[in-house]
Amino acid sequence: MQRIIIGNGIAGSHAAAVLRRRDPDCQITIVSAGALLFYNRYDLPDVFRGRGDWVDYLVYPPSYYDEQNIKLRRKTLVKDVDPNKRTICLSHREALSYDQLLVATGGTGYIPERLLEYSDSMISFNNYRLAMMVRKALPDGGVVIMLGGDVLGLDLARTLIETGHSVVLVAGDRTFWPHEIDADDRPRYLEALRRMGLEVVDGRRIDRVESSHGKRPARQVIFEDGEVLKGDVVMPFYGLTPSVDFMSSAGIDIERGILVNPQLKTTGDDIWAAGDVCQIWSPQQNAYHFYYGWKNVKMMGEVAARNMTGDEVPFSATVDEQIQLQEDGTIYSPFWEYD
Amino acid sequence: MSIEHPVYLEDKLEQIRTSGRLHYRSKSLPTWCPGCGYYSMTEGVTWALNEIGTANEDVVVVSGIGCASRFPFFMETYGFHTLHGRTLPVATGIKLANENLTVIVVGGDGDGFAIGGGHIPHVARRNVDITYLLFDNGIYGLTKGQVSPTSALGFKTPTSPFQNQDEPLNPLAMLLAYGSSWVGQAYAGRPDHLAEMIRGAIKHRGFSYLHILSPCVTFDKTDRTYRRLDLEVRDLPDNHDSRDRLAAMSEASTTDRPALGVFYNEQRRTLGDALDAVVEKAGGVPRRLAVRQ
Amino acid sequence: MNSVQTDVQIAVCGSAGDGTIAVGDILKRAMARAGYRVIAFDEYPAEIRGFGKCIARTRITTGQVYSMKPKTDVLVALNDGHAIPHVSEVRDFGAVIYDSAPIAAVQEGWHVSGHLRPGHLPYGLPMREISEQSTSANRSRNIVALGFVAGLYRLPRQAFIEAITEKFRTKAEEVTKTNVAAFNAGYERGGETYRFDKLEFGPPARRARSSLSTMMTGNHAIVRGCLEAGIETFFGYPITPATSIMERLAVEMPKHGARLLQTEDEIAAISATIGAGFAGARSATATSGPGFALMTEMMGLGVMAEVPAVIFVSQRGGPSTGMPTKTEQSDLNIAVFGGHGDAKRIVLAPTNVEGCWRCAGRAFEMAEAYQVPVVVLVDLYLSNRYETVVFPDTPPFLPKSWKPMHRDRQADLPYRRFELTTDGVSPRAVPGDVGGVHTATGLEHNEFGRPNDLSDMHLQMTEKRHGKLNAALKHPGITVCKRFGDTGKVDVGVLTWGSTFGEALEATILAREDGIRCAAMKVVMLSPLPVRPILRFLNDCKVVVVPELNYEGQFANLISGALGRPVKRFNRVTGKPIDVIQLLQAIRGAAGKRKWRKSAA
Repeated sequence: MQRIIIGNGIAGSHAAAVLRRRDPDCQITIVSAGALLFYNRYDLPDVFRGRGDWVDYLVYPPSYYDEQNIKLRRKTLVKDVDPNKRTICLSHREALSYDQLLVATGGTGYIPERLLEYSDSMISFNNYRLAMMVRKALPDGGVVIMLGGDVLGLDLARTLIETGHSVVLVAGDRTFWPHEIDADDRPRYLEALRRMGLEVVDGRRIDRVESSHGKRPARQVIFEDGEVLKGDVVMPFYGLTPSVDFMSSAGIDIERGILVNPQLKTTGDDIWAAGDVCQIWSPQQNAYHFYYGWKNVKMMGEVAARNMTGDEVPFSATVDEQIQLQEDGTIYSPFWEYD
Repeated sequence: MSIEHPVYLEDKLEQIRTSGRLHYRSKSLPTWCPGCGYYSMTEGVTWALNEIGTANEDVVVVSGIGCASRFPFFMETYGFHTLHGRTLPVATGIKLANENLTVIVVGGDGDGFAIGGGHIPHVARRNVDITYLLFDNGIYGLTKGQVSPTSALGFKTPTSPFQNQDEPLNPLAMLLAYGSSWVGQAYAGRPDHLAEMIRGAIKHRGFSYLHILSPCVTFDKTDRTYRRLDLEVRDLPDNHDSRDRLAAMSEASTTDRPALGVFYNEQRRTLGDALDAVVEKAGGVPRRLAVRQ
Repeated sequence: MNSVQTDVQIAVCGSAGDGTIAVGDILKRAMARAGYRVIAFDEYPAEIRGFGKCIARTRITTGQVYSMKPKTDVLVALNDGHAIPHVSEVRDFGAVIYDSAPIAAVQEGWHVSGHLRPGHLPYGLPMREISEQSTSANRSRNIVALGFVAGLYRLPRQAFIEAITEKFRTKAEEVTKTNVAAFNAGYERGGETYRFDKLEFGPPARRARSSLSTMMTGNHAIVRGCLEAGIETFFGYPITPATSIMERLAVEMPKHGARLLQTEDEIAAISATIGAGFAGARSATATSGPGFALMTEMMGLGVMAEVPAVIFVSQRGGPSTGMPTKTEQSDLNIAVFGGHGDAKRIVLAPTNVEGCWRCAGRAFEMAEAYQVPVVVLVDLYLSNRYETVVFPDTPPFLPKSWKPMHRDRQADLPYRRFELTTDGVSPRAVPGDVGGVHTATGLEHNEFGRPNDLSDMHLQMTEKRHGKLNAALKHPGITVCKRFGDTGKVDVGVLTWGSTFGEALEATILAREDGIRCAAMKVVMLSPLPVRPILRFLNDCKVVVVPELNYEGQFANLISGALGRPVKRFNRVTGKPIDVIQLLQAIRGAAGKRKWRKSAA
């Protein structure tokens, strides 16, 4: 039995561990676009606490993969999936055969279309390499201009402020993503962010993002009204887009994410999906629903792996998805809780 | 030499003593069997060196293994008694090391054409400026009479008790084909002619090959005897053109009536010349042995 | 400047035709040019055509090192099929660079990226695409990959461009331009690639002094030694891995007015060498196992007739044709004992490239001083490996000279070429010397050189031929053996010869870091054997390990036989240099369990 997992995040890595536990003899291959072994992306704010070496972020030592007999292929991009031949085709023109496939590619940071042309002037925080780029670009006590402000960004903001940096949040409709906040409550929540030390700019539309042509600070955001906001680093935090492009010709149902039933099975034979990439059918809501957060994603990996090895268990969210406004006037997201 | 005019021993000895030939003979007494053709060859070499006037110290006689192997010990020159079949490459090394030297290789048919046969074509084609005196008695004498590459078909010896089944080589034809620049044949039973041929071979600039026919008086009483060779040998025709390799080949092919004389003789670039040219091409200056003690 | 000590090993692996060896060549030359120390060793197939595997390994350092590293830091895969078995030689957190955009579909399981160990760091590089973009041809994949490595580690670009220009000097100018363009494109890509691995290149330890510090192979160093010693004649026959000695001499010797001849076989080669030696020339030949086997009879004549000659032997896998392009140390027996009779000769086995040069030059002195053939025994690994060497301004080798024939000798007393003297060395005359006329012979002989087989004479002459060589142990300018590592009593001694010494010393250094009291000794002169210092060394060691690239332990036999001491053998016949880690484990084993602290590296 050859099982391939595309994606080396929490969902994929946990699924691999569960698969191995439940089936000691099968072949497990994790295909990863990244260069590193599995690490917790949620830990990356620690780069500002002096945890610079990527080795320190690894969840497992290199020997884990040998001990568990899990093959990890890194820097490997999947170009498409052929459910009829049961192969995945890699960008270097090698096809891998599978008996079962788990898609756990997660999502990449979403950037609104009008800002795409300024990508070069912004640094997202999707992986270790980018985290190190931010650290390098940000001087001690420097200013980060944070666009959007999803919960990942706000978590980073907490660390940045704690480590003596300044964060200017350009708030918008993605602020607090994936939490949804009523328009009435919004001012209170933004106020809470100010209490937490962020400078919040709200209700302004960005015209463009530029480098300051060699002058410090290195970046500037120019609003439509002409006002200029200067900072050392501009970081977009507009939530995630599921990484599903490579599945487009596979003939399985995709909406924004890959559509799966509560057992995380896709509409394709022997293909499951787990993590930020999938939209799960919720019979209660009678709709497909994204579930976010470390614990949910890990649970999806677990459920998928169990169902791939004969169970028929449905996924149920384990985390209360409500953001909390705490007594001290700050906010707290359950998504900030990691093991 | 004719029997009509008697030769007295005293006169002959006097003639030898005053000729200067003994200057090239060492005080060691030869160890060959009485009547052996090597005596003629020794006399020929000393006479030729004396005629040419080469200094003793500028001559190196190289031998291999066989009855010829002791040859250098009877000469008052430098000598190198080497291994079975390896005379020619050793001589090549000596000559290339010091072009001033006159290098004479002596050896038999076994040493030359059996064990050492692989070296002959290369010395010949390269035209190494040495002289090869090949003493062909068609037998291994020193090991007491075994068959050799030039033994006749049907020859019976201790190692061919049911007669020799191998076609003998034709050394002269081989040497001509190899591109030897001087090829001649002499007969131990005609010592004066042999001596002159040796002189010609030594004087030749380039590789000279002198094939010397001789009996083995001890181990071959039947096949290649003085009596038989006396009858068989002939002189090369007067009109033989020694610049004509094809004509030489033709003469060499009459093995039942071996011809005596210079079959072939050409002047061409020696290996030493060629290597000097290489040195000049590389922008160097040909080096001659500097150390003289 | 920072003080990062550089010690990085880069391996390029591809198939014949990928330009693997060429890339390795440019890399090592560029790094040497930049002032680094370099040790490099290429492996290539015996076949000229076809798709055999080539690996070019280069170790780049600032400090003194003695061998290749057991683990490679960076592997560049130009051919996936060939590189896959070598991925495991890359250390944890080392880098593997491969073509991420191959021209044709790859069969499942045959792409290098699928074979990386979890600790490796992958760098996919579209080599072919970059080559096509930068040179409009896909031929320069190898140079693109080289450029990528150089850019990734910020290596001095100018040194590479100079090395590329030098490499293609004889080709059309366009070739150089194309390759520089490919290199630059790769360099740019490398420069913008994020690096996860932890390799650091510090500044070179010294400025490159191109006139004095040279990078060369063992065979090339032998050639240099020959030329500096004033070689006059060379006779040889092509045979791997000795051929490059003759090839290079063929270019260089004529410039010095000297003569080289390619003979019809190895027998002719040694015969002419002995002939030229007899005639007074500094003369040499070079061969490998099969050719050397043919030479032994003539070498015996050289011993008997007391003729100076130098024989370079580069060992390869044997017996018979064996493994012509793989290294081995299985010709010690034939070098020391080969041939018939009591034919004692001098055998020198250098341990590194500098030693090749030194032994080559001194071999000519020794051959003349002791009137004997001298074998210089190297192996494919040493013949072909590159090292940076600093040579002295003036060559140290003595000009041609020997114990001369007495000039005041009375003319009526015959010259005694083989005169019995106290040191066993007889006054020598060579053809051309007035009054020195004599015949040298392979027969046993008396002082005059006349054949003589009386018992006393044979005994006296045998003693003379053996005894005269003892002085070679004190020959100036050469180290016959040397001890390294801990002094005094030690737990483990590593006794080595030849190319294995580098690995042995590296293993010794690691063992000492483990807390084992450990010393290494290299023995350069294998015959006559420097018995006393070796014995002193053995007395200092609780256990002696003798690592060798042969099956039964030819050196161990030599030592045990000569000294009557047991030694612990460590033999490998993999066709490759000894694995330092395996040897280290053997040293640990020999030291006993409690003698070392760390767990396995």
